[in-house]
Amino acid sequence: MAGKAQYFIQGIGMISPQKTFDNQMFLEEITTYDQNVLTAVVPDFKAYINPIQLRRLSRMLRVGLASATICLRDAGIEHPDGIITATGYGFLDETEKFLREMLEMKEKQLTPTHFMQGTYNALAGLEAVMIKCMGYNNTYVSKGFAFENALQDAMMRLDEHQAAHYLVGSYDEAAPVQFIASIREHHFKAEPIVNLNLFDTTTKGTIQGEGAAFFDLTGTRHENTWCELLDVAMVYRPETKDHLAASLADFLKANNISLEEVDVWLNGITGDAVRDVILKELEHSDLKAIPQARYKHLCGDYCTVTSFALWLGASVLKKQSIPEVVKASAFETPKEIKTVLSVSHYMNRNYAFMLMQRA
Amino acid sequence: MSQRVFITGFGIITSIGKNTAENLASLLHRRCGFGELNVLDTIHSKTLPACEIKLFNQELCELAGVPNGKGYTRTSLLGLIALKEAIQSASLSPAEVRDAGLLSGTTTGGIREFERHFYELMDPLQKGDFAQFADTANPGEHGERMADAVGIKKYIATLSTACSSSANSIMQGAQLIKHGKLDRAICGGTEALSRFTLNGFNSLMIVDPNHCRPFDNTRKGLNLGEGAAFLVLESERAVIEKRKTPLAELRGYGNANDAFHQTASSPEGTGAYNAMNLAMAMANLAPGQIDYINAHGTATENNDLSEGFGIQKLFGSDVPLFSSTKPYTGHTLAAAGSIEAVYCLLGLQHRVVWPNINFHEQMPELSVSPVRELKQEVDLKNVLSNSFGFGGNTSSILIGLA
Repeated sequence: MAGKAQYFIQGIGMISPQKTFDNQMFLEEITTYDQNVLTAVVPDFKAYINPIQLRRLSRMLRVGLASATICLRDAGIEHPDGIITATGYGFLDETEKFLREMLEMKEKQLTPTHFMQGTYNALAGLEAVMIKCMGYNNTYVSKGFAFENALQDAMMRLDEHQAAHYLVGSYDEAAPVQFIASIREHHFKAEPIVNLNLFDTTTKGTIQGEGAAFFDLTGTRHENTWCELLDVAMVYRPETKDHLAASLADFLKANNISLEEVDVWLNGITGDAVRDVILKELEHSDLKAIPQARYKHLCGDYCTVTSFALWLGASVLKKQSIPEVVKASAFETPKEIKTVLSVSHYMNRNYAFMLMQRA
Repeated sequence: MSQRVFITGFGIITSIGKNTAENLASLLHRRCGFGELNVLDTIHSKTLPACEIKLFNQELCELAGVPNGKGYTRTSLLGLIALKEAIQSASLSPAEVRDAGLLSGTTTGGIREFERHFYELMDPLQKGDFAQFADTANPGEHGERMADAVGIKKYIATLSTACSSSANSIMQGAQLIKHGKLDRAICGGTEALSRFTLNGFNSLMIVDPNHCRPFDNTRKGLNLGEGAAFLVLESERAVIEKRKTPLAELRGYGNANDAFHQTASSPEGTGAYNAMNLAMAMANLAPGQIDYINAHGTATENNDLSEGFGIQKLFGSDVPLFSSTKPYTGHTLAAAGSIEAVYCLLGLQHRVVWPNINFHEQMPELSVSPVRELKQEVDLKNVLSNSFGFGGNTSSILIGLA
């Protein structure tokens, strides 16, 4: 086995509640939402999926397959070496349809379509069929760690074969079932807010989002490269801010990066007055002096939302600009943006760090 | 440098036994778990028998050591029982457990509880005990709950690649050890029967109402089952440091995709061939050095034909002993890979090859047939275990004597 390789993002396909599917744009048009549910702004699927297949697919499978195609075209790659996907709740709309049918029909005369399309690895499987990828195929469903698990998986495989390309993706949908079932836990805010005001709220809960994202991760630099992904780390249920800060310090040290070198950090707070406490403490102490960007007001909160952070960081590095809409407060964009750090949490349980650098 | 990966313990619960000793006894005495359902409440309890664990959740709570059991789904309880046995069998200290990784496979998480309380959960105004299951439609929920129950902090991953899930969690645990990210990984999967799954497979028309017959010409489909198994993987460094005698070595693994159809395997068994081939290449073993294959062998028309062709293509005229243990346990979906890995380990330890129960009539398409009777005193050194799933997933792991 070779040593630790470098990891480069050569292509991206991002479909989110903002118009991110067009890689030429960078948050120039902003969509606002006022019911605490943010849904994907989608492209014309016919440009990405053949019409016969399109008719048979659920909405989220369309979104997922389209984002994979956008990514491959962006990367200029037709045959990646493997496909790794991540999701929190999977195709919950499809699962709900089969479940309701089963309950209403009292377990009789059921058709398998929703059952099949509700499988967590349906996207990774269909994408493999679509591009005839017979290589590695895996799917992670570990709540707020799923996307990080998938990235780490690809990174270890790149350590072994630097020239390989892995299509690493995530998807989660703003399913009504999840929204309703989590009202008791106050995952989402009880009072309707305008998404752009998310960080001004002082109540419990966040807003529900969704998205599908694919990244072409490879071990070699290319003219299309968006950025280098230095490293990813996870921290499970840190008890205090100090615990989280110590983990972050270890993470940076392992990558020979000092906090002073970070040009901008992506703050994954969710607007939840209770669950944001540890990350906010970190924001006001250790990370206080570093220019800060936020994003969950644009895409909402979902298990694999760090894929949006990776897209944002990669875009900032490639385009060398930071849109005003993500700046936490007014600051002058540095002349050269070299290093981006992402610190996020899901439900105050799954904390994750990502470090990206200009390629 | 790359670390070798050893297996130092395991735990298991299935319809043929609630721990390793009971599973071993059942395997030796051809006792199968197939029968009518009386724990799961379904209209198919008599018409679609399955391999059910005849213990209600309250009894499972006792076995799992969580007498109160609040919030524990059947999936979590089965997983926790196997996980605790695995930790004990590998004699891991609390500090070692904390710094271990937990990789668990699941197909549907806690859907059994979610389907049962669906209407109540969909009415936020209703209050009651059911609210403890509010998040059980999330497949990762069980992984975190088990990690919390035993105190694992360092690394958590839940995998879901349908019926190959736990084979992939074993593989990924080994990767993390090889790359120095972990010294120990506890890997496996857990699966509880649910109406959702039973009706889903039934709607695909691949459930046999009679006892399944893998690799038999009259096979008509699979029987579902439930269970869980976890393996403790440790790095070479950890084993040496603790002066442990490993039970076996995880020598190789392969994951490929058939890229053929969403819920069917390619007729040629390309994915199966590739997965086994990759595992053998990693272990640097030639076909002649494989002594036994625990086949995926679900007894669906499609799987057994495809897998059979894959095996014949890889091994040619020298196909090793092979059998499917699905008639014992049913198809335990996400848990099948780790349950069958445990059966391979028991085979290696006791020098036996498990019989492929219910094989009577040769498939005309194949020139090979599975082992029918228990074979004892077999010289086993290296064995393969296959797990395939929806989405074209094909995985194979190779376990050898340490």
